[in-house]
Amino acid sequence: HGSPGAAVPVKQCPSACQCEEDGILLLVDCSEQGLSSVPTDLSPLTSYLDLSMNNISEIQPNAFRNLHFLSELRLSGNHLRHIPGPMLQGLYNLKVLMLQNNQLERLPSEDPWELPNLLSLRLDANLIMEVPARTLSGMRSLRHLWLDDNALTEIPVSALNDLSSLQAMTLALNRITLIPDYAFRNLSNLVVLHLHNNMIRTLGQNCFEGLHSLETLELNFNDLQEFPVAIRTLAKLQELGFHNNNIKAIPERAFVGNPLLQTIHFYENPIQFVGRSAFQFLPKLHTLSLNGATEIREFPDLKGTTSLQVLTLTRAGLTSLPYDLCHLLPKLKVLELSHNVIEELPSFYHCTSLQEIGLQHNLIKQIEMNTFQQLGSLRSLDLSWNSINSIHPDAFFSLQSLIKLDLTGNRLSNLPMTGLTSLTHLKLKGNMALSRSFGLEDFPNIRVIEMPYAYQCCVFGGCSSYRSASQWEEQMGSEEEDFQKKSPSLFPIHTDNNYDLDLEEFQLAIEESKLQTSIQCTPIPGPFKPCDNLFD
Amino acid sequence: PRATITVKLLKQESTGRPITLEGLFVRGSEGKAQGKLMQSHPLSLCNTSEDERQESIFISIVKLESPESKVPQCQPLLDKARLALQRGAQAVIFDISDDPSAAQELRDGSSLADPVVLVTSSDADELMGLVNKNEEAMVYIDIMIDSPTWPHYDV
Amino acid sequence: GNKQVSGVSSQGCQGGCQTCSVYNGCLTCKPKLFIHLERDGMRQIGVCLASCPNGFYGTRSPDRNDCIKCGSECDSCFNRNFCLRCRAGSYLHKGKCMESCPDGLVPSDTKKECV
Repeated sequence: HGSPGAAVPVKQCPSACQCEEDGILLLVDCSEQGLSSVPTDLSPLTSYLDLSMNNISEIQPNAFRNLHFLSELRLSGNHLRHIPGPMLQGLYNLKVLMLQNNQLERLPSEDPWELPNLLSLRLDANLIMEVPARTLSGMRSLRHLWLDDNALTEIPVSALNDLSSLQAMTLALNRITLIPDYAFRNLSNLVVLHLHNNMIRTLGQNCFEGLHSLETLELNFNDLQEFPVAIRTLAKLQELGFHNNNIKAIPERAFVGNPLLQTIHFYENPIQFVGRSAFQFLPKLHTLSLNGATEIREFPDLKGTTSLQVLTLTRAGLTSLPYDLCHLLPKLKVLELSHNVIEELPSFYHCTSLQEIGLQHNLIKQIEMNTFQQLGSLRSLDLSWNSINSIHPDAFFSLQSLIKLDLTGNRLSNLPMTGLTSLTHLKLKGNMALSRSFGLEDFPNIRVIEMPYAYQCCVFGGCSSYRSASQWEEQMGSEEEDFQKKSPSLFPIHTDNNYDLDLEEFQLAIEESKLQTSIQCTPIPGPFKPCDNLFD
Repeated sequence: PRATITVKLLKQESTGRPITLEGLFVRGSEGKAQGKLMQSHPLSLCNTSEDERQESIFISIVKLESPESKVPQCQPLLDKARLALQRGAQAVIFDISDDPSAAQELRDGSSLADPVVLVTSSDADELMGLVNKNEEAMVYIDIMIDSPTWPHYDV
Repeated sequence: GNKQVSGVSSQGCQGGCQTCSVYNGCLTCKPKLFIHLERDGMRQIGVCLASCPNGFYGTRSPDRNDCIKCGSECDSCFNRNFCLRCRAGSYLHKGKCMESCPDGLVPSDTKKECV
């Protein structure tokens, strides 16, 4: 290696590196070469320099002085503790600087890095405890800043004041406990702000003032005690996350200042109360999930929130649903309302996109003719653990896509058959008054069926030669035991035994076989669960 | 419910004899399926991992690691199987040679839309050997019909 | 480029791995490294990187760091919805890749941005 600053032939490639020409410029890759210092014979026409994953613990003075064309410098994965300002002198064209995965504890403040054209600065995965006020003053063009996975205990408010061009920043995985008012006052171009995995307990009422362009805000995995009302100033917000916090209530008109919201993730919060108007006027919101908010008694007022596709409102105290639910939410695909105290259902007639309905564990008694009418896309309907004693004969008439129907644990004595031919899964266990027999022709596509009585399974299980219950269990058990401690001798493989198949035949068989797949029906008939209907 | 797994190498001439292996269906997921064999890393089936679109019709094979290897168990195996099927896999094969306890976790597959098969020992080694050598193969899964071994009962 | 950490650890793993296996490659990485699931034909193996390859971005969490795919039109990104460099044919503006620039801005082919 020559002495630093000595004249270097224009296109020379340092010995430990691989070089590639990019027009008149040079792309130099010296990564993972066990280098302990920056090569001194770098060509002045170097535009890309990768020194990542080496053992460089410090940068010698003037190491980059001649590299006026350098656009991207990668120093990630070294052992750098400190980089004084002069070390990065001369890098006027630098646009990307990667310093992640080092041991940086302090950043220069008296002699800050002069990188006037820098766009992206990666400082993630270091040991940085603070960012002095003037550190970033020489980087006014900066757009993307990574400071995640460090040891910051507060937002570097003064340092950030110089970065009006900043568009994306992550301060995640630090030890920040508070966001003061006006923390991001000058960041009018910031679009993305990640603050997840800190210890933020308190937000200033005006802490997000100035973030006029913010679209994504992540506050997940913090210690927020209250709903972040400071978000009201974020008119452009589209994605908001505050899941895994300690918030107990969502106030009335909570998102009145955020009409463009598309996703709100707030699961894993002990939310008990939700203001009825909390989720009004969010025309772009497509998913709303609320679980366990026990103080909710009334269905939320979703006026103006017309694009909802997934609504989950479980384990609350809902007693009824609005009659015009489907006028309000015409695009609904998934409706999950289990574990409430709903007694009556409206007609879901206009919810033509509905694919899944979950109403298990409620108090529903009846299913009317028009309750589920015209739901041509409905694939799964869970009405288990209600008190249903009657279903209108035409209730399932138009459900041509329905493949899963769960009526476990109700009070049915009869089941209307019209419209159920596409079922693959049917559960009727627990309807002890439902003693009639069914036929294979009723459910041509069935694969899994749970009946109130064993004899109702005979027609599905080929009972003329059924095995005794204990033998069946034994056979299943031995199959799995064989499987665990299997040895080749037990399972003759690769020998051309009787399973010699012509593959074209196999492919034809697949087309016809959809109907012949084995059916799993329980309870399994046996000597103590005979095939004869004891009630006849 | 046992499964037969018929494997036909794509690069071999069409006369190449298919290899016949065996596995065990997750109960309730029995059925037929066919597709190109494609490996899925266990971490690729976490709900955070993104959907890696496949062009061809494929069957996913997942080599489960022993608990000692500390692979983050990001979600239950049934959910992993469901995620693979949602991403277009025609079926999922789990190699449980190093994680036999998976059979217990995968004992009820009635909620699965398509076949999920457990393989172990020599059958698993055969399949993973093909993957490791990147030998493209079509896999055909079918239900093995056992000849009834129990006497007829007169009640 | 974004080469995986080379060399082999005591366990026979690729340099950056904490644990690995023959069939799956890396299963866990050394601290602060990202695990990337690399597709190679039928195979999908884990590799450990200091920064994610082009077309992927890194997400850090207390127990794991993953490489996640950028949006389809993006070559390099900050997160799934914020692009740093667009693919040929579209221009970057405030994290979005656009085929035509908003009013008042013009496309720059050298910078691949709206300026």
